[in-house]
Amino acid sequence: MRNENKLLRFINQNLVLLGIIVLVTVTAVIQPKFLMTRNLTNILRQMTSLAFVALGMTFVIIGGFIDLSVVGMVSLVSVITASLINPIGQVGALLCGLLAGALLGYLNGTILTKFGATIQAEVLFITYGMSSVFIAVGLLVTNAETLRIARSTRPYDMFTAIGSGSFLGIPISILIFAVILAIMYFFQTRTLAGRSISLMGGNKTAAYLCGFNINRTMQMVYTINGLMSAFGSIVLMSRVTTATATLGTGYEANAILCVVVGGTTLAGGKGNVLRTLLGVFLITLLSNCMNLLGLSTYMQTVMNGAVLVTAIWLDNRKRL
Amino acid sequence: MSMTSVLNKVWKSLSRQKAVLAILALVTLMLFFDTNFFTPYNWLDMLRSTSIIEIIGFGVTVVVICGACDLSVGGTMSIGGILAIMLVNANYPFWLAFLAGILSGALVGLVNGFLVVHQKTEPFIITLGMGMLLKGVAQQLTNASPLSSRNMEFMKISNQQFFGIPSLVVYMAVLLVAFFCLLRFTGYGRNCYAIGGNYEVAKNSGINVIRTKWIAFVISGSTAALAGVLLASRMNTGSSIYGDTTGMLVNCGIVIGGTSFAGGIGGIYESFIGLFVIQLISNSMGMLGIGGYSQQLIRGIIIVLIIGMDCYARKRKREAV
Amino acid sequence: MSQPGRNILVVRDVCKSFPGVKALDRVSIQVPSGVVYGIVGENGAGKSTLMKILSGVYEKDSGTIEFDGKVIERTTPIQALRRGLSIIYQEFNLVNTMSVGENIYLGRFREMGGMRGVHKKARALLDSIGSRISTYAKVGDLSASEMQIVEITKALSFDSRLIIMDEPSSSLTSEELKRLGKIINQLRDKGISTIYISHKLDEIFEYCDIVTVMRDGCVIDSRPVSEMSRSEMIEKMVGRTIDNEYPPRMHCVGGPLLEIKNLTTRKLHDVSFTLNRGEILGFVGLVGAGRTEIVRAIYGADKVRSHTLHLQGKQTRVRNPKEAMVAGMGLLPEDRKREGLILPFSVEANITMASLDRLTRHGIIDRSKEKEIGERQIKNLNIKTPSAQTRTHSLSGGNQQKCIVGRWLELDPQILILDEPTRGIDVGAKYEIYTLMNRIVEAGGSIIMISSELPEVLNMSNRVLTICEGRVTGEFNPETASAAEIMSRAIG
Repeated sequence: MRNENKLLRFINQNLVLLGIIVLVTVTAVIQPKFLMTRNLTNILRQMTSLAFVALGMTFVIIGGFIDLSVVGMVSLVSVITASLINPIGQVGALLCGLLAGALLGYLNGTILTKFGATIQAEVLFITYGMSSVFIAVGLLVTNAETLRIARSTRPYDMFTAIGSGSFLGIPISILIFAVILAIMYFFQTRTLAGRSISLMGGNKTAAYLCGFNINRTMQMVYTINGLMSAFGSIVLMSRVTTATATLGTGYEANAILCVVVGGTTLAGGKGNVLRTLLGVFLITLLSNCMNLLGLSTYMQTVMNGAVLVTAIWLDNRKRL
Repeated sequence: MSMTSVLNKVWKSLSRQKAVLAILALVTLMLFFDTNFFTPYNWLDMLRSTSIIEIIGFGVTVVVICGACDLSVGGTMSIGGILAIMLVNANYPFWLAFLAGILSGALVGLVNGFLVVHQKTEPFIITLGMGMLLKGVAQQLTNASPLSSRNMEFMKISNQQFFGIPSLVVYMAVLLVAFFCLLRFTGYGRNCYAIGGNYEVAKNSGINVIRTKWIAFVISGSTAALAGVLLASRMNTGSSIYGDTTGMLVNCGIVIGGTSFAGGIGGIYESFIGLFVIQLISNSMGMLGIGGYSQQLIRGIIIVLIIGMDCYARKRKREAV
Repeated sequence: MSQPGRNILVVRDVCKSFPGVKALDRVSIQVPSGVVYGIVGENGAGKSTLMKILSGVYEKDSGTIEFDGKVIERTTPIQALRRGLSIIYQEFNLVNTMSVGENIYLGRFREMGGMRGVHKKARALLDSIGSRISTYAKVGDLSASEMQIVEITKALSFDSRLIIMDEPSSSLTSEELKRLGKIINQLRDKGISTIYISHKLDEIFEYCDIVTVMRDGCVIDSRPVSEMSRSEMIEKMVGRTIDNEYPPRMHCVGGPLLEIKNLTTRKLHDVSFTLNRGEILGFVGLVGAGRTEIVRAIYGADKVRSHTLHLQGKQTRVRNPKEAMVAGMGLLPEDRKREGLILPFSVEANITMASLDRLTRHGIIDRSKEKEIGERQIKNLNIKTPSAQTRTHSLSGGNQQKCIVGRWLELDPQILILDEPTRGIDVGAKYEIYTLMNRIVEAGGSIIMISSELPEVLNMSNRVLTICEGRVTGEFNPETASAAEIMSRAIG
């Protein structure tokens, strides 16, 4: 009896997840091509960049905030990295790209804390403004031209490796992601800083009265998000071998989508990076399924929007 | 009344009108440059270009005054326009296309309302997701390429002049007055203010809070679709890219005007000014020969600063010793 | 009742329980038409619960309510209003962003014939009680007394025959109070009854015809005011048989530990006091007198205009809670659900959240130590929870409170500030909290205790400060001073 209740509750809490799983299974039956190794490796490659961004977004949402500026950060970092390969070489460019991402995130966090933005509405609009600033800077730097890293005069084999190389049959980008995920999982579950993020998301006032520095935690959260966006940006750029000032278009909504589908609530406090990974995996599978079923990319946008709206709606109902 | 208290009052009402100050500053700035900025033609043109987002803004203002927010208007707008053009091209009479476009927006508003009104959480992300969904629908309908109409009558709606004034400006003016009256002089409008001002009090006073809010979303969806139809008529095309930044821009403009996301504060006049500031900024930047990307940069900075100042004022109030 | 005229309101044997607390126990009152009916009682005596049942915010468990001759089973705030029963809460039910006229006719815009009708009728009503407030003024710009007049006018606009005022004087100056008195007399002349709820006995004697004393959810006495003396009333308010409700008082007071001088903020005026080692210092005052503000300022949670803080004779700066914790303080906040606990988190996480610093080495939390602490405090405080991983929102109020106490015990602070530590928890858990407090002072800690329950403060504290309107108004030894004496000083 108790077990049945538990099962029902589990189903109730993971409606979206289960829905997607059903969809994926159906596709696998209709289109056996779906289960071929090549297709699956492809899926893995495609999801890595989004997975990085969603990983960063998980921390922001656990902390009780939101960040729309990932579009701008992904784009600007790709521009910075690609344009630095020629002058300072690929290792330098890579490091500068990551540093730039962290700095952009830190800038977001600092602006939000200085202005004292605390509610989701304020954070949403300020980060949207920052996003358009980042994109504009990218456009100014590149003059809206596409940078092709394949055409750089210096060697860029590291980026090629990230973009299309494999190790023991596993894409290198996935290996990098696995390492970062392990670190971030450890960070979230075992370290004081990770704990302070979820405490802040759970109850800001209580955390403040227990001696946590809310402003500093907020800055940290946004810095992490910036860094993760930079990782995502570099992986994406390596895969498509181009960098543009609008490379990250759509990443903000998709990252939020993955986090919410994974079961992290927008109210903050609860959530888990591993569940976000599940969310990313399922969303990527979903779009792959729809490709195989011959649906247009536009219908995929519709589907993603519908899933996002449903997921938030269901999540809100649970809290009532 | 003493001199200082008069000055104080003037200062107080001025500081509440940030948008008016911004307009004054911009106009003063433009005085120093020899441009065509001050010609009547330019001002009329600015009014015409701003009319689309103004019309969307009027509807969204109703939602914001209720203490909610609608970020899906961009998608609603492009769908309204595309639908109208498709119907016109299928040889339906142009007024039917016009109505169908608006109805599509009302439908979106109905769904938005359903998703938002029973929930206590903030409607930002949910309407953002809705906008994404609608954009996909728009792309699917047009195959992501612009769709042009072949009906001259439909095109005439937004491309004619009444007594030398562009029709879009006239429509905007009519809607401005209509919405002003709706919010100012009707029971419904006042109930919106009450709900945004204090939800619990409004509920305890017997106002049907859920219905009022729901209707606000329907209004917002309808005006967004109306604006989409007018835009489609003006451009003679419907496209899925028209609404890309509209949702955010309109909501920012409303806040710039002084209508607060906390609800209950502001009005149509404020939104009109706030949205006009956005147009004025791009117009004067264009006149000064600032490039498109720099314009985007400056617009982003302005959004961050104005919303940030709004937050900062609230922070100061919270932490007052 | 011997009064002439009908009873406008008859309450018979109404009971109401909340989990663990009996808020109202067979309460009966009868309010005749055209009188001013006073209800007095300490905080938590059940007055507000009764009001909320009358207005339809809460539902009664049993008993009957008759209003204007009709039995009322269930009601909502708007139905109560339309029937003619208005309640004016301490926190006004007004929309600050709207005009006076619209607030008076909120939700009835169309019935009143639009904007012009609203303002015309509002003007007429305001004139009828001799107020000159502009109906176009924004409510947010009004003073507290003006807002109250708007509330009264709103009540009149519904043709109310009974207006209940909950602590109407708490935010008024004495001048404004006189004006309120005049309005109440006018209402009486019109045949409208008023229920006047207050702690302030002077007002009761001045305005009321009949008075009911409530205590612990029961009606103690109802009599015409002329037949009750002031001292009698205070005795009935505070009088309570004490039978082992409290553990024996500790006596381990040492030298001064914490000295606060000239603490001033927007709400506090030049507050100075000393806390001794091993002492339980009680703060007595009405809700809103500034008790919570004092402790929050000391703890660094709020900004202050000025103050000096000496800890063990050394001047110390406390600018935020972190510095307060380093200085050896801990705060159990007033609202445990909003400020104390993180409800969706586990018992263990809530207990350890203040001491995580100590469990952390190189930034990594020692999970086994954390578990150990959780288990230890659960055992130590006898927290009744299925496991350390249970989320706190499923615990009872007393156990939730113990989680927060456990959080601070683990840090072993020198000074523990307890703001309403026993609010909303049952008798057994209260006793456990009291013994805990004794254990803390025995171990050499000091406690500042804020409570709205006078007997609790008197029985637990070594010394009591009365606080009124942001000032310290008196210092008492609870073993020698009488409850009435202290109460009268706290009332101001």
